[in-house]
Amino acid sequence: MDGSQGSGGTTRGETARLEPYYGGSARTDDDGGDGPPPAVRVRGLWKRFGEQAAVAGIDLEVPAGRFVGLVGPNGAGKTTTLSMVTGLLRPDDGAVQIVGRDVWADPVAVKSRIGVLPEGLRLFERLTGRELLVYTGRLRGLPIAEVERRTGRLLDVLDLSGARHKLVVDYSTGMRKKIGLAAALLHNPEVLFLDEPFEGVDPVSAQVIRGVLERYTATGGTVVFSSHVMELVESLCDWVAVMAGGRIVASGPLADVRGTAPTLQDAFLALVGAERGGGQDLDWLGRGGR
Amino acid sequence: MTAAGSVAGTERPGRRAGRPPSVVPVFVRLKVSVLRNGLRQSRGRTVGWVVGVVFSLLYALGLGIGMIALRGNDYAPAAAVTLTLVLGLGWAVMPLFFFGGDDTLDPTRLTMLPLRPRPLITALLTSSLIGVGPLFTLLASTGAVVAVAHGTAAVAAAVPAVALVLVTCVALSRAVAAANTRLLTSRRGRDLALLSGLVVAVGAQLANLGASALSSGHGLHRMTSLTAVLRWIPPAPAVDAVRSASRGAYVLMGVQFACGAAFLALLLRWWHRSLTRLMVSPDSSTIQAAGPEGAQAPGRTGRVIRLGRAGRRASASDGGARSLGVVDLLPRRLVAGRTAPVMERQFHYLWRDPRSRATLATGLAVGLLLPLVAVVQHGTIYQCLWAGGLLGMQMYNQFGTDSSAFWMVAATLGTREDAVRELRGRALALAVIAVPYTAVVTTGAALLLRRTDALPETLGLSLAFLGALIGTGAYASVRFPYAVPQDNPFGNAAPGQGGLVVLNVLGGTLCGAALCLPVLALTVALHLTDNHGLLWMVLPCGAVYGLMVASAVLRWTAPRLLDRLPEILAVVART
Repeated sequence: MDGSQGSGGTTRGETARLEPYYGGSARTDDDGGDGPPPAVRVRGLWKRFGEQAAVAGIDLEVPAGRFVGLVGPNGAGKTTTLSMVTGLLRPDDGAVQIVGRDVWADPVAVKSRIGVLPEGLRLFERLTGRELLVYTGRLRGLPIAEVERRTGRLLDVLDLSGARHKLVVDYSTGMRKKIGLAAALLHNPEVLFLDEPFEGVDPVSAQVIRGVLERYTATGGTVVFSSHVMELVESLCDWVAVMAGGRIVASGPLADVRGTAPTLQDAFLALVGAERGGGQDLDWLGRGGR
Repeated sequence: MTAAGSVAGTERPGRRAGRPPSVVPVFVRLKVSVLRNGLRQSRGRTVGWVVGVVFSLLYALGLGIGMIALRGNDYAPAAAVTLTLVLGLGWAVMPLFFFGGDDTLDPTRLTMLPLRPRPLITALLTSSLIGVGPLFTLLASTGAVVAVAHGTAAVAAAVPAVALVLVTCVALSRAVAAANTRLLTSRRGRDLALLSGLVVAVGAQLANLGASALSSGHGLHRMTSLTAVLRWIPPAPAVDAVRSASRGAYVLMGVQFACGAAFLALLLRWWHRSLTRLMVSPDSSTIQAAGPEGAQAPGRTGRVIRLGRAGRRASASDGGARSLGVVDLLPRRLVAGRTAPVMERQFHYLWRDPRSRATLATGLAVGLLLPLVAVVQHGTIYQCLWAGGLLGMQMYNQFGTDSSAFWMVAATLGTREDAVRELRGRALALAVIAVPYTAVVTTGAALLLRRTDALPETLGLSLAFLGALIGTGAYASVRFPYAVPQDNPFGNAAPGQGGLVVLNVLGGTLCGAALCLPVLALTVALHLTDNHGLLWMVLPCGAVYGLMVASAVLRWTAPRLLDRLPEILAVVART
């Protein structure tokens, strides 16, 4: 871990993490925290694919009960991080704790406490939407009657009742995200990890997903979702972590990360070292010419 | 190229001439680039492609030379006409099977370009003439016309005849593809293509039978009497026109050429209409998808009210989705925990997933076929071991067939007991089919072969072998998984994993056979010591032994599955 500053253990995310990553204030975290454990605690997380380090030493502490956005440009390592945090990808180095339990040492406790909606992985698509939910619930060991009750409610709330007997392989993108979200919520997890839950989703479905997630956090659940749409993150999240080049460059409450910048988008561009504008070389573009 | 000719003349005078420049060179270059880039993807693919090309060209050359050797033979016209018809048929059905393999076959990829159907047809037709298929057709049809061409007039007629056959074949293929694009790009169409492997295998067997029937003099004689009809079916008239020219029947030749050209014109017209329809009408698949979702949208505001109704509706109409009968028949303890849902999912997949269905159907069919061959050829009853063996092999690479959906298994599998139950569910789903099937096939074969005395030992060995394969298959699935390509219907492993497949199939079978040795030794010992009266014991021994081996290996494999979840996911998601 080379000097990444995750949220300090004492204040748990109440301080701003605006310094750029290479700023190098290597703080020592006190692991013996007081009060309830953070929803997610990541220490020195590394993952290399060949020569390239997809995740290069992440330290992060996400407070419980928040709506957390993990933002970053494409290829920043968001999906790799979420895969490692949820136990779907083995890290080269580092430790991950969910609600105080180690993902790799205590998989039973962790897997029953988290819900996952990965990006780019299939579902068992030759099942109908309803069958998929019932199957997932039973894999999780829930009683059949309870699974059926929750399945019916989730399908209804997510506007999927009309398509419950349709194979998931024939679902549209928005419907897939919604059925994936339903499968992730079925066992009422404490922490929900969603990788790009709004990618390719129509506005109606997006609003439905949003409503469900807001309700979930209102009752004490923690949502961690990745996105590269800053407006969305700004309107939804109260806590953000910014990733670039496999590292966390800033994390903390939304207002602190945004700082003096007018929007999160501006703060983000400054953090990842990109500039607004661009396209000055395309002087032929527009004005009705060919 | 009747319809095409009008535009093909437009060369590249540029925009100033008022007409857009011809797109033909662009499409030709596109086709060449697609071919070249396809080869660039991997060295193995390049080698495979080159070997395939060399073989098919050698085959075409052989066909052509064979036809030329028939020159002067009484049966030459019949053979030439038949060959041409088979070529035409091949081109007509090819896009149905290989649609996904050729991006340039899908005209919907071009809808956003400002192209009119007519220049598009010219360009697509020209670019379609590039490739191995057209070269194959050229070689074979040249052989066909040489076989029937005698005299200068016939040789003069042969050149347009070959050209007409070639263009008709290519246009036929394109027109069929365009007319069926919607079907072929839909999910059902792709499912169909996956099943086509079976059709191709059965078709190859039928063709084989046909060829051997024809190769006798009697067969060719019958073919000759059919030729009177066949020679009028396009694209055969063009080839038969050459024979007419050889005989001096120039009027008949003219009629036959006209017939061929008229057919081509009709084809191009059909293609034109399909293209126009494709380019102006929206993709119906999204319309269908939007239907039910759109219908639900207005209900959003009434969500609270519908929540109340949901419970009642779910209980009223969804009782049927509970479980499949077979699972209920098994002891409660055996299907406890996740075993039952895993089994149910496996059964759903065997029926709904074309790849699983094709694999199972192949296993069932071949497992029945080999004992049948034994019956017909008065062979040995031990051929029945194939039935259990082929079905047992389906336990291999369990997680590869899940593809990246395996994450749902990985995310819900926490304890060692979970892992045992997951593996048990998959093994039971297979055993529920394989055990009765093996019993029925073996009993049937024993009855037909009048070897009921050997039934107990054969069945006992089969069950022991099946159990051993299920056990080793579960272990190999955990230890040596490989990715199964989801879009290529003909590959059973993603590129670069051939070694793993061999390791699975060969190593697994050998280990399975080795695990069966005790039962085999018992059988041999009873035979050698002349204790034929005790051979019935092999059946209960084999059955119990198979069950024990399978359950012991499953228990031993389970903790390894638990440890390797991320590694398996990383491998099987690589498609």
